[in-house]
Amino acid sequence: MVGETSQTIVVAGGSLAGHTVVTELERHGFAGQIVWVRGREGTAPYSRPALSKELIQGKVTAETIRLPVPQPYGPRVRIMDGAVCAGLDPHADRVLVTQPDLSERWIDFDALFVCTGTQARVPEAFAGLPGVHSLRTLADAERIKDRLAVRPRTVVVGAGLVGSEMAASLRSCGLPVELIVQGQLPMEAVFGAELGRFCLERHHANGVTTRLGATVTALTAEGPVTLTYDDGESSTADMVVLGLGAVTSCDWLDGCGLDLSDGLGCDEALRTARPNILAAGDVANWRHPLFGHRMRVEHWSNASAQARHAVESWLAGQEGRQPPAFADVPYFWSDQYGLKYQMVGHARGHDEVHVEEAGTGGYPFVTYLRGGRIVAAAGVNAPRAVMRMKARIQADLAGDPTSEEVYAR
Amino acid sequence: MKLSVDRTLCDGNGVCMGIAPDVFDIDDDLNLHIADEIPDDPAVQAQVRQSVTSCPVLALTLEE
Ligand SMILES: Cc1cc2nc3c(=O)[nH]c(=O)nc-3n(C[C@H](O)[C@H](O)[C@H](O)COP(=O)(O)OP(=O)(O)OC[C@H]3O[C@@H](n4cnc5c(N)ncnc54)[C@H](O)[C@@H]3O)c2cc1C
Ligand code: SF4
Repeated sequence: MVGETSQTIVVAGGSLAGHTVVTELERHGFAGQIVWVRGREGTAPYSRPALSKELIQGKVTAETIRLPVPQPYGPRVRIMDGAVCAGLDPHADRVLVTQPDLSERWIDFDALFVCTGTQARVPEAFAGLPGVHSLRTLADAERIKDRLAVRPRTVVVGAGLVGSEMAASLRSCGLPVELIVQGQLPMEAVFGAELGRFCLERHHANGVTTRLGATVTALTAEGPVTLTYDDGESSTADMVVLGLGAVTSCDWLDGCGLDLSDGLGCDEALRTARPNILAAGDVANWRHPLFGHRMRVEHWSNASAQARHAVESWLAGQEGRQPPAFADVPYFWSDQYGLKYQMVGHARGHDEVHVEEAGTGGYPFVTYLRGGRIVAAAGVNAPRAVMRMKARIQADLAGDPTSEEVYAR
Repeated sequence: MKLSVDRTLCDGNGVCMGIAPDVFDIDDDLNLHIADEIPDDPAVQAQVRQSVTSCPVLALTLEE
């Protein structure tokens, strides 16, 4: 048992990070009450990565992607589906919660876990147009999926992770797909030029047409959607999917005095300037002790690891211990045309890359260095090679002279 | 702890291997291998539980 029966913890956010905070508090036997405000989506937590992969391709359904609940929630967990946190009192430990019927109430807390993640970035001028979709939620994915039967000609705008993956999944469903790339290569911002080029070749080999170096300046939706580009050219489509990145969901914290410069700013232990308010997942911006700079990571494994860590940090504080720093090396994967792209580390600010081949497919394997130290590595269908780099990155960044040996293992 | 994987679901995305590298391994054909014995170490067991709840395709099952 930890905590007091009189304590209340509010968990804001009903996706992986929020879910993991609740299950971890339960696992530790937290004695107090947990109020879990799950957000407007109004659904039980589900696997978001499956949306642009298995769900779109019809391999799974909404019912089969619900996240598992290790044990039924105890009687002291109060789930508020469809409710959102709408404000935080700058001077007192209480949050304003808006229920689905729009009634509002303040809830006092002893601790607050902010796990409100991100939402799709949709320019105002493109919002709500018929035939134009973004992809963040299960409802978004189902709306897109419902249209696939008529085999719409599709334009995917944006070639980051979600855009590239959507182009691949829709193409794998047999749809004609054009991919609009703002820069010269897809996924270049994450992977750099070498893997970006590889990714572009895969799109072409699979029959996706691409428009490089193009920005959409206008969208009109009368019947088919017309897209106008910055060079004056245009194209038409039956369906447009926007993959323009994500923005953090922390407007509700505006004016509460916390650091909101990019997500919710935390210390190394994931606590905000108010130590009983912690953050985890896509929304959390913290200083990574190994990389030595602040970062925010929008990937699945990070949300689960940070949530667990934030609970540890809070418990440490309760027990008068120094809360540990969160030092996990980021990881993500992406599925495109049956290939598995994987990356460990954080390539920001890298000034050197090494390209070799790895895995049975002989695909490119890239190592990213900053100031002579390895900060990230990425490969295609080479999980062992990628994962092995995790220990190497940790050792390298920690300035460990044996990092070469760690790698050799 | 008895851990099993549904191979029709597992796509080798490596989330579990990232969390519990001593228990999960994925080969270059993206097949998952689970250690025969899960170490009797509470830290590793916590990693295993977290892998089960974090598997993005819900392929892992744990009987404690
Ligand atoms: C299509 C798609 C594919 C992806 N694929 C991959 C992948 O292959 N690999 C990978 O590593 N990552 C992938 N990701 C990223 C991954 O899904 C996220 O990193 C992860 O979902 C983050 O979890 P989270 O709990 O931090 O936040 P989110 O998943 O963003 O959830 C935030 C939650 O908070 C709720 N909420 C928002 N505002 C409020 C409020 N004011 N009050 C209460 N609740 C609120 C929302 O309704 C939601 O439930 C993908 C993401 C998308 C959209
Ligand atoms: S996390 Fe799940 S899908 Fe991914 S490799 Fe492990 S068992 Fe397979």
